[in-house]
Amino acid sequence: MADKTIAIINTQAPFSSADGKEALDAALIFGSYEQATSLFFLADGVFQVIGGQNASAIEIKNYLKTFSALAFYDIDNIYVCQQSLTERDLTANFHIDNVQVLTSEEFSQRLHQHNVIYRF
Amino acid sequence: MQNTLALVVTTPPNSNLTTTAINLVKTAVEKGVAIVGVFFYQDGVLNAAKHLSIPTDEYQTLQHWQQLNREFDVPLYLCVTAAEKRGLTDELGKNENSNIDQAFTVSGLGELVELTCKAERVVQL
Repeated sequence: MADKTIAIINTQAPFSSADGKEALDAALIFGSYEQATSLFFLADGVFQVIGGQNASAIEIKNYLKTFSALAFYDIDNIYVCQQSLTERDLTANFHIDNVQVLTSEEFSQRLHQHNVIYRF
Repeated sequence: MQNTLALVVTTPPNSNLTTTAINLVKTAVEKGVAIVGVFFYQDGVLNAAKHLSIPTDEYQTLQHWQQLNREFDVPLYLCVTAAEKRGLTDELGKNENSNIDQAFTVSGLGELVELTCKAERVVQL
């Protein structure tokens, strides 16, 4: 079994589907098996890292709180697409630390540094 | 060295991406690629729903998975957490009461990690 670097791309807003939560579940498992894992947020996926969201207002469990566990699993590479933020008129107001906002070109370069890409 | 492939299916049986996944696995097997496993996650777990009844003149997704498993020994792994959230359960046992088809192996996300590491190439459609 060879160690691989895993990129998980999030492309959906947090509460309109289970995609975000199921992507996070997968990321944490890869982390617990000590696989080098990075999270990427692209398109509507950037909404997942924006702070000040109230999930209980729409009767949904706030899985965004679990993002704080990422550090325990050594998932420190969290990349957000600047263009996706700009297109949605979002500022860099994130609910987690160590988020790196990257230009499309940098975003693409980082993605290509990984062996396996999963998209949610 | 033989080529090895793992496939991750996250789309339900009525998605055309699932049909494409089946065709990809079939072609890979024919070309001598070793399939280390197909992992079903998210709505992909619905592919294992035994009682799904699709009109006979439509594409029979489950039959194709069963064939791949039976004739080519392609392992089909099901994420149990995702399956239970969608009404599929192995608590009924591996018998006629279960609503999970017998071609599928009930598994967890740990299997996804194993497959990801074992296979030279990983494909998710």
